[in-house]
Amino acid sequence: MIFFSETSFHFCGDEYIYAEISREMTISSTLKALSITNELKKRNIPGIMEIYPNNTSYLVRYDPITISPYDLLNYLQDVDQMKNKLESLDIESRLIDIPILYDDELSRKISQQYADFHEQGDLTNFEFVMETCGFKTKKELIKKHSTPMYFVTAMGFKPGLAWSYPLVDSVADIIQVPKYKSPRPFTPVRSIGLGGAFSVIYPSNSSGSYQLIARSAVPIYDIHKRLPIFKNSFFLANPGDFWKYRPISLAEYKNIREQVRNGTYEFQTKHISFSAAKYDQFGQTYMNELLEGFI
Amino acid sequence: MIEILRAGVRTTIQDRGRIGYYHLGVPPSGAKDRTSYMLGNIILGNPDHFAALEMMIEGPIIEFKTETTAVITGAPVCATLNGDPLPNWEVFNVKKGDILSLDKITEGLFSYLCISGGFQVPEILGSKSTCLASGFSYISGRPLVAGDIIPIATPLPGANRLAGKVMIEDAIPKFNRSQTVHVVLGIHIDLISDEGLVSLLNNEWTITTKSSSTASRLQGGTIKYKDYDPPFGSGGMKGNVVDIPYPIGGVILPNEEEIIILLHDGTGGGGFVTIGTIIWQDISMLSQMRPLSTVKFRSVTIEEAMAIRKEYEKKINDVRTLLNQ
Repeated sequence: MIFFSETSFHFCGDEYIYAEISREMTISSTLKALSITNELKKRNIPGIMEIYPNNTSYLVRYDPITISPYDLLNYLQDVDQMKNKLESLDIESRLIDIPILYDDELSRKISQQYADFHEQGDLTNFEFVMETCGFKTKKELIKKHSTPMYFVTAMGFKPGLAWSYPLVDSVADIIQVPKYKSPRPFTPVRSIGLGGAFSVIYPSNSSGSYQLIARSAVPIYDIHKRLPIFKNSFFLANPGDFWKYRPISLAEYKNIREQVRNGTYEFQTKHISFSAAKYDQFGQTYMNELLEGFI
Repeated sequence: MIEILRAGVRTTIQDRGRIGYYHLGVPPSGAKDRTSYMLGNIILGNPDHFAALEMMIEGPIIEFKTETTAVITGAPVCATLNGDPLPNWEVFNVKKGDILSLDKITEGLFSYLCISGGFQVPEILGSKSTCLASGFSYISGRPLVAGDIIPIATPLPGANRLAGKVMIEDAIPKFNRSQTVHVVLGIHIDLISDEGLVSLLNNEWTITTKSSSTASRLQGGTIKYKDYDPPFGSGGMKGNVVDIPYPIGGVILPNEEEIIILLHDGTGGGGFVTIGTIIWQDISMLSQMRPLSTVKFRSVTIEEAMAIRKEYEKKINDVRTLLNQ
């Protein structure tokens, strides 16, 4: 059952209010954060500069000369109250197919090159995840990771980077791994990392601390807008999107890369009307229903 | 137009920063020292948000291809115009062909060249600010290099009559090696032990050489976490929380020996215990502090933070009125 304890609000300096819905990761907290921030966006309140939904919390930046922090706090508390009902958590969204190559050569190489940063000895990150989570075969891990639908819960760290969280019936079905002890100075663009209970795709070359287990064939950030899906935005992800990671062969990977480079690749997407009540009641069965006929 | 003859250490175009894209992982960017940048626009009669040239540690050599009116603000920098010494914080006119040389910054890190009408580079996501982390095209995504030519606006009406105008002494920020920053405690402050809180507020913290324009990193004491079970989804280690949207100015404790404070080039989204946020004007002050400078924290309530902010805004408005008389 979805139940919310009281959201705790914090003033942060003189320009931000932070609202914590829960400390533990639960998908209902993410849905509530999205629902509140979507409502705030719609209302176009003068003085609000940033509205930032996240995994279990949200952040609002305001101009304290235009709007008083106390008035804003009261206002946010009112909106928060409105969003405690299951029906208020429904979202209209889209499902995006993300073709990925698991245990790819570059991720293996990077795992070994930065061994000092993860302290897992000779194991590649993929092997480390297998060992930590007790997977006997490579196939088993790939199946576990690629079967669920993922929910884009938040963005941050680098322009376009998105956290995705698997929608499964029990937290026991979620792959959970520690992050690197110290951030690795380099992560190749399009690497797929696992950290805590989340999967991310790195949008550009950057530092990073998630375990690298795969590489995406498709870009998730494109300032040159080379593919049609980027026509209106540099960012593939949006908080509230659904992603499906699809395992592909090296040949498929190379073919898709070619299509991306020559600008002919078309993302597979599907419109989704997500019912929080149905998800609450039927869990993964409901998610499978939404997936029907996709790819 | 101006042409960059020598680039300097890191010269970029900056304005008030990017607003509305923080939730997509885009840093606000903008002038590291918002106060000095804004005062430059004010003394020129520009709107506050016009783009300026920001330089770090050592400035560029610039040739002006057109006449304009300008001012140098921010950290004190040795400047000459066609070889003659040029004071900071005083408006000057330049002619076509003049060479402005900006050398070493003697205290602090960032200085600004503001010009009447502002620098005219394309806006990306609503701002002219260079963002090195975003991979934007051309000079929107990289520091300036020798040979870069940057369009500038025609000076605003009456600009050349401002030459000789000097900034009010009292308004010029101080660039000290030791400062007090004001922090509003909160977020995960309940995960910090009582001794840890005392340590935060009583110790003097040193800015380390690992600092950048993304974050200031400090050492100088131990801040013990409370005994707590890391929540589900956090990765399971002490100091970890489920990732949160960090505010700019957030005071982050990745371990018990280090403090990270997010500056204007920072982004949200990270899973470390965060115990408060410094006030807006102190972000500029901290950005200007060199490694090995020291910082003390003063805890303030939101009421006190707002009182400080109102006083700051009043001071800026007084400067605006006095300069425009």
